[in-house]
Order: sequence, then C-alpha cells, then structure tokens
Amino acid sequence: MADDDRTTQRRPDPDALLALAGKDGRGKLTVFLGAAPGVGKTYAMLARARRLRADGVDLVIGLVETHGRSETAALLDGLDVLPRMRVPHRGRMLEEFDLDAALARRPHIVIVDELAHSNPEACRHPKRYQDIEELLGAGIHVWTALNIQHLESLGDLVADITGVIVRERVPDVVLKRADEVLLVDLPPSELIERLKEGKVYLPENAGRAADRFFRLGNLTALRELALRRTADRVDDQMVDYLKQNAIEGPWASGERMIVCVGADTLSEKVVRVASRLASGLNAPWIVVSVERADREAEGRAGIEQIERIFRLAEQLGGETRRVIGTDFVEEILKLARREHATQIVIGAPRGKGWGRSWSKGERPFWSQSLPDALASRASGLGIHLVTGDREEVRASKSIRRLPVLSRAGLIQAALVAVPLVTLATGTGVAIDRIMHLPNISLLFLLAVLGAAVTAGYAAALIAVILSALCYNFFFIAPFYTFTIAAPHEVFALIVFFAVAVIAGGFASRIQEQAETARVRATALQSLYDFSRRLAGTEKAEDAIWAAVSQMQASLRRNVVLLTPEGADLKIAAAWPPDTELDVTDMTAARWAQDKQEKAGHGTGTLPNSRFEFRPLSSPHGVVGVCGVEQTTERLDVNAERALAAILDQTALAIDRARLSEASVAQAARLEGERYRDALLSSISHDLRTPLATITGSVTSLRQLGDRMSPESRDDLLQSIEEEGSRMSRFVANLLDMTRIEAGTLKAKRDWVDVADVVQTAVERTRKYFPGRIIETGIASDLPLIEGDSVLLGQVLFNLLDNAVKYGGDEPINVYARRDDQDVLISVTDLGKGIPPDDIDRVFEKFYRRGKPDGRAPGTGLGLSIARGFIEAMGGRIHAESPAVKKRGTRIVMRFATTTAPTRTPGGPSTSGRPA
Amino acid sequence: MTQARILVVDDEPQIQRFLKPALSAAGYDVIEAATGAEALKAVATAAPDLVILDLGLPDMDGKDVIASLRGWSTIPIVILSARDRESEKIAALDLGADDYVEKPFGIGELTARIRSALRHRGKAETAPTVMVADDLTIDTVRRLVSRNGEPIRLTPKEYDLLTLLGRHAGRVVTHKTLLTSAWGPAHGEDLHYLRVFIGQLRQKIERDPTRPTIVRTEPGVGYRLVVD
Repeated sequence: MADDDRTTQRRPDPDALLALAGKDGRGKLTVFLGAAPGVGKTYAMLARARRLRADGVDLVIGLVETHGRSETAALLDGLDVLPRMRVPHRGRMLEEFDLDAALARRPHIVIVDELAHSNPEACRHPKRYQDIEELLGAGIHVWTALNIQHLESLGDLVADITGVIVRERVPDVVLKRADEVLLVDLPPSELIERLKEGKVYLPENAGRAADRFFRLGNLTALRELALRRTADRVDDQMVDYLKQNAIEGPWASGERMIVCVGADTLSEKVVRVASRLASGLNAPWIVVSVERADREAEGRAGIEQIERIFRLAEQLGGETRRVIGTDFVEEILKLARREHATQIVIGAPRGKGWGRSWSKGERPFWSQSLPDALASRASGLGIHLVTGDREEVRASKSIRRLPVLSRAGLIQAALVAVPLVTLATGTGVAIDRIMHLPNISLLFLLAVLGAAVTAGYAAALIAVILSALCYNFFFIAPFYTFTIAAPHEVFALIVFFAVAVIAGGFASRIQEQAETARVRATALQSLYDFSRRLAGTEKAEDAIWAAVSQMQASLRRNVVLLTPEGADLKIAAAWPPDTELDVTDMTAARWAQDKQEKAGHGTGTLPNSRFEFRPLSSPHGVVGVCGVEQTTERLDVNAERALAAILDQTALAIDRARLSEASVAQAARLEGERYRDALLSSISHDLRTPLATITGSVTSLRQLGDRMSPESRDDLLQSIEEEGSRMSRFVANLLDMTRIEAGTLKAKRDWVDVADVVQTAVERTRKYFPGRIIETGIASDLPLIEGDSVLLGQVLFNLLDNAVKYGGDEPINVYARRDDQDVLISVTDLGKGIPPDDIDRVFEKFYRRGKPDGRAPGTGLGLSIARGFIEAMGGRIHAESPAVKKRGTRIVMRFATTTAPTRTPGGPSTSGRPA
Repeated sequence: MTQARILVVDDEPQIQRFLKPALSAAGYDVIEAATGAEALKAVATAAPDLVILDLGLPDMDGKDVIASLRGWSTIPIVILSARDRESEKIAALDLGADDYVEKPFGIGELTARIRSALRHRGKAETAPTVMVADDLTIDTVRRLVSRNGEPIRLTPKEYDLLTLLGRHAGRVVTHKTLLTSAWGPAHGEDLHYLRVFIGQLRQKIERDPTRPTIVRTEPGVGYRLVVD
C-alpha cells in the first residue's frame, strides 16, 4: 500500500477521474435529507427553487406533496408544476408523478419529492428512485427529499430504535451516488412542538404508530443517524477531492472487506452490519457465497435466500460474488488474497452443536465451525463475527434440511429402506437356521449401503435405524425382544450403528454426486446439441426458432424472441407461436433493447409485464430481445445458467447469420456488377466493330482511295453499307428491348395470316443470306391468329438470323401447323444445339452461345426480344434441343385461336397467301 | 525501299476486309491472321516487319500473344483496342507492345503509328542524339535542352523523364515504365510523383503549359513525346 502511494504520488487517481468522467452527460442528483417527516425538507427545496427560478433557471415541479401545509403550498406559486398522471390502482385512481411528461418537457431541473415512494403497478418502475435514475440518465438534474429512516442499510437499526418497521426503503447507493446532499435539520424538541401545533402531516390511520415514533429519544437517534450520514458523505467528498487533485493526505483507509454469506437468515444481518462497517471504514466490500462444486447448490429455497441477500447487498452498495469450491475456508481466503481484502465479516451463530455446524455450507459435523477455521488459517486479516441468536439459526437450519426431508422424500426413502432391511432380516434368519454366522450384522450393512446408493442419505438413515432394531430383535439374545443381555452385544450394536451411519453417508454422497453429474451432463449435452444445431443454421430465422424451441424445452416456460425491424421490435418467434404482447410487454422489450439491460417481470423496469426481457448482445450490438414468461416460481440457478448460455449463443448465431446474409447480398451485388460490365462491354463491342469498319473504310477511301484498284474501292463501299445496316439492326434491337423492358410495347390485336408473315420473313432472310437453304412447310388449314404481324415478322426474322448463325451450313426448316386449337410455328436448324443446362437461359437478355467475353456473333438480344414480342401478343415460346438426330435447335411458338373467326376470302389480313 | 510486311491479327472479317486494301494502298505488304496461334505461326514463318494485333481473339488473349512473341522476337507490335479496356491496353504495353490505336480509328492515325514503330525498329533504346519538337531542341550529347536557342534549365529528374520519352519519341510510354525508370521499381504505382514532375517539365518546355503540344497525355495510359 505504502509503495503504491509513493508511485502514484502527486498524480490524480485514475479511478477517481474515471468516476468523474462517468458522470458527464448525466443529470445531477440533489437530495434534501431529513431526520424525520416535518423537518421542512419540501419547504427548503421550494424556497431554494424560487430563488433559482427568479434567476431564470428552467425549473419544473415534477411532484411535490404539500400535505395541506399552507406555507409550503404558498411557495408553489409562480413555479411551473407538471400535471400529475392519473393511475388506476386497486379500483382507485391515484395521482402520480408523470415521468414521460417530465422527460418530454426536458427542464434543466425537475423537483420530485419523496425519494422513497413506491409507484403503483401500472407505472414503468416500481420505485420512484428508478424514475429519478431515468431522469438523470436523460441529463436532467433532479432535486428530491428523503427521510433518513428510509435508507436500506439502516432498516434494522431504525426498527430497533423506533419499533416501527419501515417498508419503503431506498438503496444506499442512490444516496451515495447523489451529487449533493443537503441536510435539513430541526431540533427534536422543536419538531415535537410543530407536531403539537398540527403543522406536521400525519396519515390518520397511522396515528398511534406516529405517537410512538415522534418521541424525543427516537427523534434524537434519527437525527444523529442523519447527521452522521451527511458527515460521512462530506468526508467522502473530501477524499474524492483530494484524490482527483492529487493532494496527499491521510485519506485511504485501504481497507477491503469480504463478507461471507450463506442461505440463512443471519446472513441478512451480516450484510447490513457489513455495509455500515464498510461505510464507516470507507471500504469497498464484496459479498461472497461459496457453493460446493460437487453438489447442486442449496435447493430452491436456499437459492432464493442467497439471491435475496445478494440483491440487498447490491442495493447497499456491495459487490456480489458466487464462488464454487469444496474447501470453504480455502476459497474464502483465496478470494481475500485475490481482492487484497483486509477484513472478513462472517456470521457466528450463538448456538452450539448441530445448528452451528450447518450454518455455513455443509461440512462434516466433526470439524470446527467456519469462523474458527477461518480464524486459525487466515493470517493478517481482521475477522468480524456477527452474532445471531438461536431463532435465526434454527430458521436457517430448517431452510437447509427441508428440501431433503420433505414428506414425499421420506416416503420414497422408506419405500426403498424397508424392503431392503426386510430382505436382509429374512436372509439372516434363513442363514441362521442353517448355520451360525458370527457377524450377521454385515448383511444389514449391505442393506444400508444399498439404500444409500439407490435413494440417498435419508433412505440410508432409515435403513440404519431399522437395521439396528431388526438386528437387535432377531439376532441379539434374548431373541425377539429389544432388550440386550450381554454387554459386548451392546458394544457390537453401537459399532454397527456408527459404521452404518458413516458408510451410508459416504455411499449416499457418491450417489448424489453421480446424480449431480448426470444432471449436469444432460444439461451440457442439451446445450452442446443446441450449439451444433445453431452452427448448422445459415439464416437468422432458423437460429431464432432453434433458440425458442431450445429455451421452451429446457426452461418449460413460454418464450418470445423479438428482433429489430426498422425502428421497432417485431416478434420473430415465440412459444406458443400465437403469443401476443401487450403495450407494457412491448415497452419493456424496447427498454431491454435500448438500455441493454433486463426489463419486465422481476426487474426494476415495468415489473407488471408478464415477461422478463433480456437483450441478446452480440459483438455488433443488440440483435434482439428475448422474453421469458415468469410464473410464481423463479428460475433456478441451473436454468439461469442454461438461459444465459442459450442467449449468448443465439446472439452470436444471429449475428453470424446477419453477417453472412449481408455478404451474400454483397456477392449478389458484385455478380450483378460483373454482369453489367460484361453487358456493357458486349454492347460496346457490337457497336464499335461496325463503327470501326465504317470509319476505317471511309478514311482509307479518302486518304488512299486514289492508290486503290476500283474493285477494292467498291468492296470498301459495300462493307460500309453492310456495316451500316448491321448497326441499324443492332440499334433497332436495343430499342425493341428497351420498349419491352419499359413496358411500353403495345402489340396490335389484328387478325394475322401466319403463312403470309412466314413467307415475308423467309424472303427477307434469303436476301441477307443468299447462299442459305430455307425450307418451309405450312399447313393449308391454318386459322388466323390474333396478334401483330409486324412483331411476328420481326420475331421470325430474328429466329432465322439465329438459325443461320448457329446452324452451320445445314438447311433451315420453318413449319407452321395446327395443333388442336393452337397454331404452332417452329424454326429448326441443324447446328450444334444448345447445352441442356442453358436451354432455359437462352431467352435471357444478352445470353449468347460462344465465349463468355461476349465475342460470339450476334447481340444476345434476338431471343429475348422474340419472347417479349410473343408474350405481348399473348402467345408462348420455348426452345427444344436437340431437335433432330441429336443435333440442332428448334424454337416453337404457340398461339391460341379459340376466338378466331374462320378464314374467309376477303376477310381481314388474308391477302396474298401463296398456295 | 522494300515494302514493309505487316501482319494484321484480327478475328473480325470486316476489319480485315478494309485494312488489307487500305494498308496495301499505303505501300505495305499485308498478311492476315484470325487467331493467336495463326499469328504466332505467321511471325515465325513469314517474317513480318510489324504486327497489328487485336486484343480480343477467339482462341487466346491478345496479351498472351504479346508475351509469347516477346519471348523470342523484338518485332514492333501495334495494338488495336477499345477504349473500355484501358487496363488491358496498359498491360499489353507493359508486356512489350510498342503502341496502340483505339477503335474506331482513322487510317491516317494507324499508318502514323506504323511508321513511328517501324522507325524505331532495331534501335529501340538508342534515341537520336538531337531531337527537335516544335521549337524545342533536345541534345542528348551535350545534355542541353533549348528553345529557340535559349537554354532551359531542367532538374536531373526532369531531364531523365524528357530523354526517356525522347527514346520512344512518337510512341506512348506507360506511367509504370516512366515511374520505374525514373524512380525505381518500388515506385511503379506512385502516379502523383509523375503528375507533379510532368507538370513542372511542361511549365519549362511547353509554349502553353495548359495546352501541351510536346509532351502529350494519353489518358489513363501514359505520355507521348511528339517530335517533328
């Protein structure tokens, strides 16, 4: 310690500065502390408020109880008072502080009287100090008033002094964290005077209790407590100031306290005493409970008791720790060394014998008591014993033993023990008939061990007692009585009894350990299975459902899991699946998400929600909120552990799934970009090649034309013409495609003579590709179809153009025939055909056979334009490959003709059909 | 002067169709190849004096053709390429191509590039001792740069850059070549150095540094020294 002081000499203590920095942005809490009601806290608060208001400070009265005192009420004049909120409570309407109104109003300072007040159920927080905490968190300064008897750590003292048990208590930390504490003081005699004058408000039904309370002795004691507390605080502030400003001084007591608690009622007293001691020593303190590693903690009642004590300790400003180990003394000393503790506080029951041995954890009864053991093994530590009386210890003993010796347990144990002992007796009697066995008691030992192993310690004890009786009755002379003749037989019975108890104890311990191990292994296995299942999920949804079913299975509670959607939370999964959340539940869930802390049932925020909500925290923030429906039974330690593990894993799994979804989307975007790049480069190539030819040819003609032969000049001119028309076709295709995509393509609904259109398209193709053989086969009974002859002609030309490009030098066939009510038109080439994998993609835009860099002939638009046009006409189009003899491609178009009129000469579009 | 023989490698028949008569009329002997393999074979057997190479070939990448050729031949290579394949163009130049022409191109531009490439054939690394560009004279023997007889003071780095461009006069020199020659291989990507120094050089040698006529920018590729 001294070394430390020297090294940090003249430098501000970093912890002190951190604590200061943590307060930035938070509102400041000012507490007006009084010894008793009526000392004038509210009056002092309002008088000060008026002064600030006069200076123009934005100050609002959140809630002030004037209790009908006219002088106080007069002070309210001219101050902003927030309207109160009306809250239903047990059939009555209560007027309460409107937290949300205050938050919305955002004043510089808000005054909220009576820090110790409890809110009715419908409010967000059960306690007013939690409301105030929220106000401070929002950066609003708060003034409030408190009477000293409401302070948690003084609860038992006040009860001792005044005989009145105060129900509404405020955790010490609230006062400790207050930025300013103003003591409002009034001598007790004056207060009693005021009371007599009727200036102090008293509820009517509390008349007699109040009479007892307002006695000179009580008031003086309370006044001392209030003065002392304030003085402690001033002292703390002095120390803080010294530390922050690196002023050396005799400040640091350097004390640290370890407070040992167990599942007994004495522990509560231990914690309160320790907290007072700690505040006197100005020492941080850690409350520790040691659990046996090889044993399921303490039973349900024990766990709840320890949790109550931990909550109390936290409210009093202590830290809490759970330690697992077998050697209690060693574990406590280890923690003390690790935490550099200087003091240990422990409860020492006043009773002797059994009760004493059970008071701290479970130890064989022959060892020394825990405080004694600690005292003998700890060196250099101060040990404080907090003594309790018999009743407290007895209560603790019953808490410990109850779960083991419940009625059902007893019956079960007896059901195992009785038959075993009967069997042993029967066997013994049978053997005894045949021969004389000197140590027949071993048979009973066997029965005891059997009972211990199968049904535990209780069964073993029952078996021991029964065995001793039976042994005596059947095998110790005089037989068939419980009397014993020979003195050595008495000795033998006693030895048997002792051996049986010890052996039974050990055997049952082994059985319990095995059972514990099995339960743990099952829990672990289930968690392991769950994590494997999670690892297999790819989507966040799957992880969420897996988590919900796992939680439902292992907790046997209704659960609901919410995930953020946009700005709000939505139920992602729930058990039962039709779970609905009301406004309170949703508000609690949002609270859990925003503040990253538990909310809802059993917490300080919206405890009247059915669910307890916990945030699912991942490395990238809160990914969801899990609600577990709470019943009257709290979750035990194991369930809590399992829940925490499940939530952690789920959060990670959701996080991972979200990331992988994001990366898939990213990959898709990249793929899209690559596709667009390929597209652009293909279009630019298709446009540039003819342009390059034209530009090159024109410049060649201009600059070198006179040096060329006439044939060369003609050829260049012809190539210019051809490339020009190639480009114009491509541009037309692009425009068609744009029209299809933009949805502006309007197909006409005329009667179309298919034969006519086919002939025209074939003629046009022949003109472009004079060398190619195109065969047509058109049925003579073709009906008219409804459509657009120009579009159909364009489609046929595109198909023929493709057939020429991909069909090699083989002939191309165009057929048109009737198929039931439909008209089928097909274009078939005998080229290489389309690979089966691609047959569905050929109608996609810019698909082309050939190299992936888009350097195949053609634009990759023909077929997609064909599909666009055909569908605009109400027809269908598909590709078949191979078409003929494992070769070739056939594109088939199908048009319905149901409403077509019969074709008559002189009817619409019948002109010029060749025979 | 014997006719220079030019190998035109392009898979587009339309391009071949006009290049052949045009280049013949310009006084060259033209042979054709439609694929990379054909091109390599033609260089080996027909001994052309220059290759005009389209980068997009059906059988192999044009860059691979250059790499293969440069393994055993110093034949000048002029690339035909499209503007949207800038990175390919630079890669091709870095692989050893001599120059490039962007499609679509006029025949005059192509023949100018051909002439420039042929001129440097076989003496790629030895520039003439005196170069004249516009009214600027670069005398590499006396290490003197002057405009209209007025000497211009250049820093050693600027002089290095200028002579490097001069050695490839009329042809494009890529950023990477300039950077690695002037600053060393570690600085191949430090384009901003180059911009600064070229800017300074232009301030000193150009008549109007905002509209440079001697050191021309080839956007995205490099610089070109235009000589008379």
